[in-house]
Amino acid sequence: MIKGLSRRQTLRGALGVAAVLAATPHRGFAASKTLNILAHRVHQNSLTTGPAGDLTKAWRDANDANCEWATFDTNPLQDRLFREASLDRTDFGVGFLVNSRATTAAASLLHPLDAYQSSAPIEDFADIAPGLVSAMRFDGKLVSVPFRHATIGLFYNEALLEEQGIKAPPKSLEELVDQAKKLTFRSSAGTPVTGMVLASDLTVFPVTFARAFGGDFIGPDLKLVPDPAALEKALATLADLFKSGTLPRTYATTSNDDQVTWLQQGRAAFTVLPFARFAQLNRQDQSKYPGKIKAIEFPASQSLQGRMSSVVEFWAMSIPANARDKDLAWNFIRAMSSKAVTTGAARNGNGPVRVSTYSDPGFAADQPLAAVEARALAGARVPLPAFPEAARAQTIFNEEVQLTVLGRKTPKEGVAAIIERVKPLLAS
Amino acid sequence: MPPRNPAVVAGKAIAVGVILLWSLFPIGFMLMSSLKPGQEIFAVPPRLVFEPTLQHYGALWEKWAVFFRGLGNSFIVTLGATLLTVIASTMAGFVYSRERGRALEASALFLIVVRLLPPIVLTLPLFTIANMLAINDTHLVLILLYATFFVSLGTLLMRTFIDYIPRELDEAAMVDGASRLTILWRVIRPLSKQGMLALAVFVIVYAWNEFLFAFVFTSTRAKTAPLVISEMLGSFDGVDWGVLFAASSVQLLPILIFVIFMQKHLVAGLTGGAIKG
Amino acid sequence: MPAAVRGAGARLSRLGATLPFLAPAQLLVLTVIVLPALHIIWLSLSTSTFGKAPVFVGLANYIHVFGDTYFWRALANTIIIVLVVVHVELLLGLGMALLFASGLPARRLLLAAVLAPYAVSEVSAAVIWRFLFDPDAGPVTMALHALGLPGFEWSVDPAHGLAIVALLSIWLHLPFTFLIIYAARLAVPEELYEAARIDGASKLQSFRRVTLPLLMPAILLAALFRYIFVFRLFSEVWLMTQGGPARSTDVVAVYLYLEAFRFNAFGTAAATGWIMVMISMILGAGYLWGLRREMRAHAA
Repeated sequence: MIKGLSRRQTLRGALGVAAVLAATPHRGFAASKTLNILAHRVHQNSLTTGPAGDLTKAWRDANDANCEWATFDTNPLQDRLFREASLDRTDFGVGFLVNSRATTAAASLLHPLDAYQSSAPIEDFADIAPGLVSAMRFDGKLVSVPFRHATIGLFYNEALLEEQGIKAPPKSLEELVDQAKKLTFRSSAGTPVTGMVLASDLTVFPVTFARAFGGDFIGPDLKLVPDPAALEKALATLADLFKSGTLPRTYATTSNDDQVTWLQQGRAAFTVLPFARFAQLNRQDQSKYPGKIKAIEFPASQSLQGRMSSVVEFWAMSIPANARDKDLAWNFIRAMSSKAVTTGAARNGNGPVRVSTYSDPGFAADQPLAAVEARALAGARVPLPAFPEAARAQTIFNEEVQLTVLGRKTPKEGVAAIIERVKPLLAS
Repeated sequence: MPPRNPAVVAGKAIAVGVILLWSLFPIGFMLMSSLKPGQEIFAVPPRLVFEPTLQHYGALWEKWAVFFRGLGNSFIVTLGATLLTVIASTMAGFVYSRERGRALEASALFLIVVRLLPPIVLTLPLFTIANMLAINDTHLVLILLYATFFVSLGTLLMRTFIDYIPRELDEAAMVDGASRLTILWRVIRPLSKQGMLALAVFVIVYAWNEFLFAFVFTSTRAKTAPLVISEMLGSFDGVDWGVLFAASSVQLLPILIFVIFMQKHLVAGLTGGAIKG
Repeated sequence: MPAAVRGAGARLSRLGATLPFLAPAQLLVLTVIVLPALHIIWLSLSTSTFGKAPVFVGLANYIHVFGDTYFWRALANTIIIVLVVVHVELLLGLGMALLFASGLPARRLLLAAVLAPYAVSEVSAAVIWRFLFDPDAGPVTMALHALGLPGFEWSVDPAHGLAIVALLSIWLHLPFTFLIIYAARLAVPEELYEAARIDGASKLQSFRRVTLPLLMPAILLAALFRYIFVFRLFSEVWLMTQGGPARSTDVVAVYLYLEAFRFNAFGTAAATGWIMVMISMILGAGYLWGLRREMRAHAA
């Protein structure tokens, strides 16, 4: 179409402009092979830019291949991956998969990797967090290799804590609630501060609170609300925070990007986010409190016996079953999972899935959170196990939590509704 | 001229003030945010006095080369979609304006009724079809989609416009033995330029900003600017709001200036050329 | 040869002559919308998801959607928003058109200002609005408080949530509606107003007898297109409230999006698509009928 039109005199100039624009920095030069990768920009960045440099270069040179990255936001990315994998053939060799979208049906679209792992194994495979690897096994088949994890921690603004005379961050959930209430005030900067900010569209936050009381939404063995009383306590705590103004009025429409800006602007004192957000929260050019935002493991309730397991979400690399060049794709996955690349990517800002990375002096030295994060990761568990209707179950859970937090339902009613509405989804 | 009633004048002034505030305040706010230092953008209370900086535009240029490629893609797609829509709509509008009949009327209504189907659900089968034709991630697929989704409004607009062109002109040409195609080219085309321009503005604004189709059908080669902006919104290491506002401003300015420059044709085009802006 | 047959023959040959002109528009619509739509009918009668081939289930998806309270809530919200947005836009657009037509200084410049929001993409607009209307610290909220008015509680109160979505949609699309009506108003010959004045008609009477009837085709056109677009309104809701709080501001398009892209239930999504077509046809019949009458009237 464009070709036909270009014959027209009048359009020549315009197309010239377009051609120049379209031709600006185009990566890559002639290589004999191209690997198309479906990813989030964060994956591309941690493998190609940062203090450790471009970690794909050695692989590209060795294999005479180009990497062509197609990047999307999480949900569109997963959707695109499954769509591509549903076709007869796809050009994409590697696709990044997030744990919450890995279901048995989705796994059936991906190429089983066990044969590759035995013929051309990944270096020290047992070092990759076993909890994450096992979550990527379906019917005994490994379909995806973990690449990045995001473990949840509690962030706080040290300066605001000091302003209200609080010396140390909370050691228990009860203390956290007290401190958060105290931190709902007008700061010396004139900014109205709310004690805590949480997004309401993500399951991880209420699940974190539930686990602090020893409860859960759906247990690892697919048991629905294993401890209703604990979940009730968690929701009651959140509802109390909202009622007392310790959670913002916008709670029900807050996103996790809002959490970041609120903390950076000193509009909230506490938030719950992946440890990986540490760098951004303290960025000189965005934050009003650079260096003042600290993180700890999320504190459990005093009533909890034993250890609380933090919530972790993770990304893994997979090969669509209909990919053209699976060998090249595996070759890439294998190279990107090596110990050296894992450490390099961690230095570029990735959450490393290898336990050994945290003890690597080249990494841990300039990572203030390495020890805390490693400890949290050791006991961490995904927010809920994968099952076909997991997405629907999360939507129901989030909705009932919102209703309870906003005070339209009592915690008892909320938990009862969750159980009643999610139960049929687990049966199917 | 009716006598100037001070109450009327005051009323008008207030109305104009409200209209300006309503239209321009959010846009001004965005442009201003793109010039604020990062820490100030979401400052509470917001600051109106600040030291403007171009740092976000610099960062956009350095870190998001893909955004500028996206602008190039948006440009190509917009251009193609506009040409296709204007040509198809003018041809169809010509016939609907000059001919009558039940079948024609039905086909005109059909053009509108099919538009009731939400594009979101159409993307399900279209993705497979586009892939079969191997036009996924090309400019062509977006051009075809945008043209299709604007051709019904386009046809209606062009029909209305051509209605204003006196039939006697084509009848005279017909007597001279001109074919329909000749009439369309020689008589209608020159006289309906402003209608076409007005339609072009609508298509251009739509194609420049469209998100859903771009997000389903493109990945690297034909990725458009709005898609890149939405990607900036959902990033794990956090949204860089300054850069986002800078990108939004860069994406907005050309189209805004274009619309402002075209307003004369826009108004004239919609009035059948009866009024010269 | 009987006249009727000769008439039919002539009609047929005329159709043959006009078909090539209609072909590009109709072909586009046929291949890009109609053929896929047929596939969607098949999808709506089966259940499928990623990694699972479709299984025929008859009307089960339709029954499921009609039995889902969330669908009805989304539909009610959609209808409220459509009614509010379309009519407020028409009223404001008409008012502004009359204001502009009554003579304003620096009309060009003002027109440019009014058209500006039309060029803003939905993504950018939603980002700005979320900040401007932040219930705790947004500039608009603070201005309202300063005037002693209550702020918008759009993330707590569903009614306010719908209101802000409607407001955003109006902000983005009022220029379109205004422009169509304004252009039609400019096309009304001044002599008609002269004549009305000579007949002793008051301003209101000349508005009702001259302006309104002559603007009707344009108003209907704007109404129909805005109606089609608002009925499947998605971005404004998704980017502002994500259907929250607690799914209370869901609209039908959000319901469909969740089914298709979050739950990957393509059967129910496809069924919802067709239900949307049917309902919007029933609700839009008035506009369509009016437009058809206008087209007929023009033909005469």
